[in-house]
This record gives sequence, structure tokens and C-alpha cells, in this order.
Amino acid sequence: MSAATLVPRSLRGFVFPLVLLALWWAAVRFGWSSSPLLVAPGQVWQTGVEQVISGKVFAALGASLWRDLFGFAIGASAGLGVGALLGASRLAEKLVGPSFHTLKQISLFAWIPLLSVWFGLGDSAKVAFLSLAAFFPVVLNTFEGIRSVPADLLEVARVLKFSRTQAWVKLILPAASPSIFAGIHLGLIYAWLATLGAEYLLVSGQGIGNLMIEGREHFWMDMVLFGVFVVGLVGFTLNWIASRIEAHSLAWRSRSVAQF
Amino acid sequence: MERSLPLRLDGVASPLDVGIDGGDSNQRDTVLARQSRAAWRRRVAEQTWPPLRDWLLAWPLPLAVLALWALASHFEWIAPQVLPSPEAVALTFKEALVSGELWANLQISLLRVLGGFAVGLVGGLALGVVMGLSPTVKDYVYPIFKAFAQVPVLGWLPLLMLLVGIDEALKIILISKAALVPIALNTYKGIQSVPTRFIEVGKVLKFTRWQMLGKVVFPAALAPIWNGIRYGFTHAWLALVVVELLASSEGLGFMIVYGRQLFQLDVVLAAVVVVGAVGYVLDKGLAAIETRLLGWRKQAF
Amino acid sequence: MAHAGTLHIDRLSKQYEVKGEPLPVLDNITLTVNPGEFVSIVGSSGCGKSTLLRLIVGLEEGYQGEVLLDGRRVVGTSLNRGIVFQEHRLFPWLTVEQNIALGLLNAKFSESEKAASVHEHIALVGLEGFETAYPHQLSGGMSQRVAIARALVNRPEVLLLDEPFGALDALTRAHLQQELHRIWQAEGITMILVTHDVEEAIYLGDKVVVMEPRPGRIRRIVPVALAHPRDRVGLPFARIKEDVLAEFGGEAEAATALRHAFRRDDGPGTGFALPGGLRFAL
Repeated sequence: MSAATLVPRSLRGFVFPLVLLALWWAAVRFGWSSSPLLVAPGQVWQTGVEQVISGKVFAALGASLWRDLFGFAIGASAGLGVGALLGASRLAEKLVGPSFHTLKQISLFAWIPLLSVWFGLGDSAKVAFLSLAAFFPVVLNTFEGIRSVPADLLEVARVLKFSRTQAWVKLILPAASPSIFAGIHLGLIYAWLATLGAEYLLVSGQGIGNLMIEGREHFWMDMVLFGVFVVGLVGFTLNWIASRIEAHSLAWRSRSVAQF
Repeated sequence: MERSLPLRLDGVASPLDVGIDGGDSNQRDTVLARQSRAAWRRRVAEQTWPPLRDWLLAWPLPLAVLALWALASHFEWIAPQVLPSPEAVALTFKEALVSGELWANLQISLLRVLGGFAVGLVGGLALGVVMGLSPTVKDYVYPIFKAFAQVPVLGWLPLLMLLVGIDEALKIILISKAALVPIALNTYKGIQSVPTRFIEVGKVLKFTRWQMLGKVVFPAALAPIWNGIRYGFTHAWLALVVVELLASSEGLGFMIVYGRQLFQLDVVLAAVVVVGAVGYVLDKGLAAIETRLLGWRKQAF
Repeated sequence: MAHAGTLHIDRLSKQYEVKGEPLPVLDNITLTVNPGEFVSIVGSSGCGKSTLLRLIVGLEEGYQGEVLLDGRRVVGTSLNRGIVFQEHRLFPWLTVEQNIALGLLNAKFSESEKAASVHEHIALVGLEGFETAYPHQLSGGMSQRVAIARALVNRPEVLLLDEPFGALDALTRAHLQQELHRIWQAEGITMILVTHDVEEAIYLGDKVVVMEPRPGRIRRIVPVALAHPRDRVGLPFARIKEDVLAEFGGEAEAATALRHAFRRDDGPGTGFALPGGLRFAL
């Protein structure tokens, strides 16, 4: 019997994690390493439970998420506005576009030191940074979506005598919505990534990133591992929520998108 | 008789030198030839003015910002530590360039990112290919890979710092992780989504396994794979900047942080400009390669 | 019943500029379409028939000559002139009902009148029960029917159809031709159909306008004086068809000669060899 048929399909995904967990537990149990970094799985669990019960993790997470969503909201709305402007007006695109694309090339985190001088080291700098992180992908995708409205459908709007407002509300925005949603989803991902980075680089204040930095400084491996788990969980949840919203709003799409 | 041969901008000869008039100067001045000349001039104008105009339009905004910046720093509306004058930045930039400091830091950063990216590229491609081609491997590996991918690159930073310290190993590992995830994912998805109809053609033509892979699967999957590579590179560059900002004693990121500590914003800005420029160049390079590799695709819209 | 318009096209010419050189697309088109008439326009690719339609509906401008609807010059698009394209061009995010209602967006009716009109037209094209379906759930033929309903719902004076069934399979095409004929008889509005399918042109039209390319010109107008419903395999139909087909292929004389050679005047009811024989000649 080959390994392929040993385990039923639905359970295969658990094999590796369980094996790793077992190895980890064995390493601690049998003292394969004397490093203080080798903490038992049980202890990570314990720390996690403590954090949950004492509410500390929620305080930290709450602070991080609040900043994340606030910055994201600012960046995404600004992004929608600018993206729509660039999409609607070729003149605006020619005036602003090149500068925008140049600024976009600057790797996101390079902005932090500048922002820290202009906004200080506290929450406002972090929120400004997060808005920036969400801004760029939203602008790009919104612009792209508006520009890709098929000319075919624009002709139908002409024949049916749509006014400018009607064309925007009834044709252009719905047609661009898949792209816009994709941009917002991407903005959400980048904002979460940026949240962590902002907490590492602008150390004041509370947050899940700060929790992990604290753990690292005190060599508390269990804390750090717990932090990693929480971060992954939040990332997964945000992704999942965004996907659900996308799927629901774009239910009219079939398997292939370009079937206008 | 010698005739000048004006070429149209699209490389095709103008009507003047298509053999109809055979070199006779009388014929050249016929109404037809004059019309063709006018049409040619119109074509040239049509083809040169729009790009020129577009290039010109790109400048008002940045120049306005620059002017505002110069005024603000000259009249000290904002403290010079917060907003150095454009001249100071330009001077610092020149000094850093001349002293070789800029170049030295740039080199270090580039080496790091290319090294980390190479590791992530090889690992990502290997993982993606293996998961894409073997459903068994995919069943075992994909779930834990997906879970691993949920944690953004920066989430791993404190953990890695504990495990490997803060020297080169940290940077390379982080950068390669940043590149590996999108590359593996896109490679896997790309191979998965090779349309069945192409596979069927291969089967009917009795392709061997290697022929199927080489002539059907990989060419068809190349577009998503390349997408993953571009995305992976952007993330690698991103990770490089962060890790240099946090835990480095040389490189562009370090320059930024160092300048910031000393409130030497001109150094910071100079380094930021270079980061932007490098990002731009690398992105354009990747785009050029993409055109080469994937030129057979037509735009969907 | 909608008011049917008279369309008068007088010496219509149009040219494009390609790389600085003028490219004539239509040359001196003169055509009158009477109220309630069904006119078919046939021609091979490049004869400008689609451009002609787009000029009439107002999607293209810049021409010499006159296009008059009920004596008034046509300027830009208007709800008086509807069009059905070869692609259905439905909005994918709207249901069948909502897509048809788009045609009434700028019409001056009350909400209840609009709703009634939408339902009436859904019934007209035979799509009761599909009101809340999305385009991706419909077949090609059904989508085209929605497009027809959308074009008719605000009761235009003239309906233009640009190869509406070209993207459909032969069986659906035949079925939809019958449907279009039924709708035309029910609504009584003027219709102009552009097609490359000669049989379709003769089946539906009161007259067939044959166009030739480079530049687009009217070669001949063939009246179709057959009673409805028309029998596609009957001899009178076949005669008109070979008449029209003879206009294509360049050597009309050679085609005529072959026609005489193969002709068998057996009277109505036979008519099997002729169309096929003529096709070889082309």
C-alpha cells in the first residue's frame, strides 16, 4: 500500500501539521535542545489562554484593528476618488498619472521615516501610513476598472440616451465593480501588512505587533508564537470577509468574466 | 538622380519613394505627389505631437510641488529639520553619490534582495510545480502552506529574530519568504488552470509526459507564473526595505533610518529617491521581459 | 401600435481617414424606406452596410448627403431609432427585466406604465418566466431576444438590426427569424435589417438592397413580392434568391448563363436543383 492511499483525502492536510507538532513536543520532552527558546506546545497554549482571559490580547488586537480599519477607510475612499478622477478624465490622467506612478514605485515602508518626522511617532503617523498602503492599490484598480468598460456597452448607453450621471451610475460603476472590489481587497491586505510594520517601526503605543516585539525582547518564545497565530488568524478572517462580500455583490458574474 | 527618401515614423517609406514616378522630377510635382506629401506631413505631425504633449503635461504637477517646497523651506513655514530645502537634498544627494556612499549602500541592498529573491524563486517554483502536478502532494502540503501564507511576512519577523538573530540570515530568509509565497501560489494555480482542451489535444497527439509538460503545460501556465514572479519581486523588495529599516547596519534602508535618527532629512529623502528609482527600473525591466516572453497574448479588452 | 417612420437617405457618402489618406466607405447611397416596411440589406464584408446602419442610428457622424426621418434631419442618437447589435450587449449585472427597463430609462412614462410595457415586451419576445434571470444564465438566442425587447420597449419609429443572428447557430437563427417576422407584423414599425445571409434577407424583407464593396454602393434593389408566410423551399423564393445571389461573385453574366443551362421550368413545387447548382457557379 503506497503512501498515496494510506490516508483518506480529507485528512491529508492534517498529516504534516500533526507530525510537526509531534516532533516539537518530542523535542521538548526529550530535551533535544537546551536553548531557552524551545518552549513546549503546551506552554504556548497556556500563554494564549492567559492572554485571552486577561483580555490583554483583545486590547492589543483592538488597538491594531482599529488603526488598520480607520487607515484603510481613509486610504480606500481617497483611492476611489482619485481612481475615479483619473479614469474619468484623460486630462487628469495625463497631469497626475505620471507623478502617481512614480510615487507608487517607492517601496511602501520607505515612507515611514518621513511620515514619522511629519506626524510624530504616535497613532497619527501609523494611520497616515496605513492610508497610504491602502491608497495605491485602490487607485490603480479603480482606474483600471473604469477604463476597461467595454466600448460595446458604452454605445448602448449612447443609443438609449443616457445622461452623464446615468452612464456613471448605471453602466460605468457597475461594470468597474469587479476591479474596484479587487482593489479594495488588495488594499485590505496591504493595510494589515502595513499595520504590523508600522507597529515595529513606530514603537509607541499598543498593538499586536508591539506584543510580539515585547515577546522578542524578553525572549518569550511562547508569546511570540501566540502572536504569530493571532496575526495569521486575523489575516485569514479579513480575507474571508472580503471574499464573501465580493462574492455576494458580484453574484451576476459567471465563470468567465469577459463575457460582456 | 539623387532623391532623398523620407521615411514615415512607422518605418514604411512615404509615397514619394514608391516607384510610381520612377525618378522623373516633373512627375514628382504632380498634384498627386503634392497631396501625398501633405498627407505624409500630416501623418508625421499626428505621430509626434501626442506623445510630446503627453510628456509635457506630466510636468506641471511635480514642478508646482517643487516650487511650493522651495517656497516653504525658503520662508521657513516649516522648520528645516522637518522640511529641508530642495537644494540641501540635491547637495546631499550629490555628495552621497560622489563619495560612493550611495552606491555602496545600493549595492548591498541589491545583493540582498537578489539573493533572497533567488532563493524564494527556486523554492516557490519548485513547490508550485510539485503541488500543481501531483494531486497527492497537493493534498498533503497545500493546507499547511496556505496556513503559513496567512501570516504576512512581517508577522514572522519577531520569531525569526529570536531564532536567527539580526544578521544576513534574517534578511535572506525574510526576503525569500516574501517572494516564495506568491510565486508558489501563482505557479500552482497556473498549472492547475491549464485548459483541459489543450491537454486533450496533447493526448490525441500521443505526447509523452515530458512533451506534455514542455509543450503544453508550461507554456500555458507561463502567464500566471510570470505574474507570480512579478508579484514576488515586489514583495521581496518591500521586505528588504522593512528589514533594513529595522535591523541593519548598512544598505539603503539603513541609510534612511540613520538619517532619520540624526534628523538629517536630506539623507532620508535622497535614499528614498533612490529606493523609488531602483523600484522603477526593476519594474520596467520585468515588464520588458514579460513583453518578450508573453508577446503572443492579445489584450483582453 | 407604435408610429412607423419614413426614412429617406439621399446621396449619403462617408469616408474615413486612415494614416492621412481618405478611405471612402459609402458612396452616394440613396434609399427610401416607407412606413412599416421591412428592408433587408445584403452585402459581403467591407461594403459598408454596418456603417450605414450606424450612421442612421446616430453612432457615427460626419457624412455628406442627407438622412431624414419623417422629413427631419437625423442628428446623434435618439429613442426614436432603436438598434439591435450582433452581440446582445446586455448589462451582465442586471436581470432580463432590468435590462429591458433600461430602454425606458429616459422615456416619459409613469412607473406603472413602464412596468406594464416591460412585461408586455417580455411576452412579445416569448420570454415569460425568465424575468429575473441574469444574462449569463441565458442562451445566445434568448439573450438576443432580450436585446430586441430592449430596443422595442420605447416604441421607436424605426428599428435597425445589425446582423442580429450572425452569432447564433442555424437552428436558433431560423427560429428567431420567424419570431422577428411575427414581432414585425404585431408592432408594425419600420425595420431595417443588415445581414450577409441572403435567405434571411429574402425571408424577412419587403425589398432586398444589394450592396457592393469598395466603396460601398447600392448595386440593386430587389423587390420581394411574396405573400407571408414565405416558403423557403418554394420555387418563387428560390428564383428571387438566385436573382440576388447572381449579384455577387463578379461575373453576373457567367452566372446567368449557368442559370439558363440548369433551369428546369417544372413549375411550383419542385425547385431543388437550382440553388445548389448556382452555388457551384460562384
